[in-house]
Amino acid sequence: MKKLLEVALGILTAVGGFVDIGDLVAATATGARFGLALAWVLVLGVIGIVIYAEMAGRVATVSHRPVFDLVRERLGARVALANLFASFFVTLLTLAAEIGGVALAVELLTGINYLLWVPPAALLVWLVLWRMRFQVMENLFGLAGLTLLVVVVAVWHAHPDWSALLHGATHPAVPMGEGRPTYFYFAIALLGSAMTPYEVFFFSSGAVEEGWSTTDLIVNRMNVYLGFPLGGALALAVMVAATLFLQPRGIDPTHLSQVALPVVLVLGKVGLAFTIFAFFAATFGAALETGLSCGYTIAQYFGWQWGKYVKPAQAARFHLVMLVSVVTGALLILTTIDPIKLTEYMLVLSAAALPLTYFPILVVANDPDYMGSKVNSRISNAIGSVLLVILVVIMLAAPPLMIITKAGQ
Amino acid sequence: MRKPLLPVVPALLLLIAVVLAGCTGPVRSFGVYESKAARTAKEEASAVENARLVVQAATGHKAFGRYLSQVLTETGDEASSIQSTFDAIQPPDGRSDQLQAELDDLLDAAATTIAALRTAARRGDFGAMPRLAAPLAGVSRKLDEFARAHQ
Repeated sequence: MKKLLEVALGILTAVGGFVDIGDLVAATATGARFGLALAWVLVLGVIGIVIYAEMAGRVATVSHRPVFDLVRERLGARVALANLFASFFVTLLTLAAEIGGVALAVELLTGINYLLWVPPAALLVWLVLWRMRFQVMENLFGLAGLTLLVVVVAVWHAHPDWSALLHGATHPAVPMGEGRPTYFYFAIALLGSAMTPYEVFFFSSGAVEEGWSTTDLIVNRMNVYLGFPLGGALALAVMVAATLFLQPRGIDPTHLSQVALPVVLVLGKVGLAFTIFAFFAATFGAALETGLSCGYTIAQYFGWQWGKYVKPAQAARFHLVMLVSVVTGALLILTTIDPIKLTEYMLVLSAAALPLTYFPILVVANDPDYMGSKVNSRISNAIGSVLLVILVVIMLAAPPLMIITKAGQ
Repeated sequence: MRKPLLPVVPALLLLIAVVLAGCTGPVRSFGVYESKAARTAKEEASAVENARLVVQAATGHKAFGRYLSQVLTETGDEASSIQSTFDAIQPPDGRSDQLQAELDDLLDAAATTIAALRTAARRGDFGAMPRLAAPLAGVSRKLDEFARAHQ
């Protein structure tokens, strides 16, 4: 019974913790401009994160060491440095965007300029990272993120033409007035939102933080096989809401407030209250995950003591990296850079860096010295390899597409 | 000694891409100016439609005043930004001057109406919003027609 509750809680937190500022921005922007013509990319991204997060979680569970630690040992310092360079930079940008997202959510509630909320938001993120236990943090913000279900309720209450939506998703076509390069640019951003690198570092390090053993492999599988797809369904609901309310009017969303508009129109003030809380929970939870991931990647590469399972004094450098990352992220937002624009750029940079994150995981998950009999199955390898080829193509296509489309204009 | 394997080349390429994506060159021909005008009209139409959606929410008492005021402030700022960006482009010839005048009338009408809506929302005068927003439907249609005609 205890195990069952643990599995259920894991699934719920995986669902609630799936969506972050990147998913909100990418799903709304693509829904508003392309309807459901890019829904297949979201499905592909969810398959990708499921496959690689399962690998990362399995590696951590079997070896009792996080993926990044093993990447350095298995592939050497230079390859691990390339991995670190790409992942840390993207994760730091994501952290900045999440802090901006928290501030924007509070601005929607108070009407006070978001820049004034950046320092308190960053301080709160750091305090929670420093003081709160890992499991409490993960469960609290994962469950709070479930309030985003309000978007699903709004879509349901809007009584959409389901067959038209299904047709749009299964017969993707570039809408009139949009070019193919823009379509593929947004496809890359959407894939980047679903397969953000920090998710695997957080997931595998979290498995070590929680002391998973081989008996917890079922928890790992249920979290990723059920939790992540259901989390992806929340992102899909955001895309559908934008398709129903923003696309017909030709609205190209540029603010977080516009993500809430469809819910407001259907569910009114109660829906708005839930949505603002959901924005706060999703972005704050992701700020914690990205803050931790910044600390994990650096500390694991240099072989420092890391984790929240030891007292901060015992992992001082790990906590220092998190503090510096949070301060840097906050300062970046305080330059008055638009958090939504930053998110859009971050998503494409993230997608371009994905092969550097995922290739080493594929290698380690196939090494019997670490994994014993728990190496990848043929199916995992086949899907993982196909995805890796797609990610390499994306890495090569992202820079020219960014120039040609002027970042999706 | 071997060089460390850092992803310097891809990182540089991406950095160059980010910088180039934000660059705008001088407009030297009517064709380029026309496409920029069409793009501006499309962006402004998006802001106008957003304002209309907010008015719809306000009329149905579906949102808190603070939220409505916030969204209209953002929309107003966006409309102003779109107009100032367009006005900063030098028209290259006489035909472009005409195009600028035509579009500027529409941009002015949109910005003025959205500013009035923003003021009403700040004062909590949500009842006046449908009346104030009345011109937006026509402005939106004209912006859309302009964008299509000059695409």
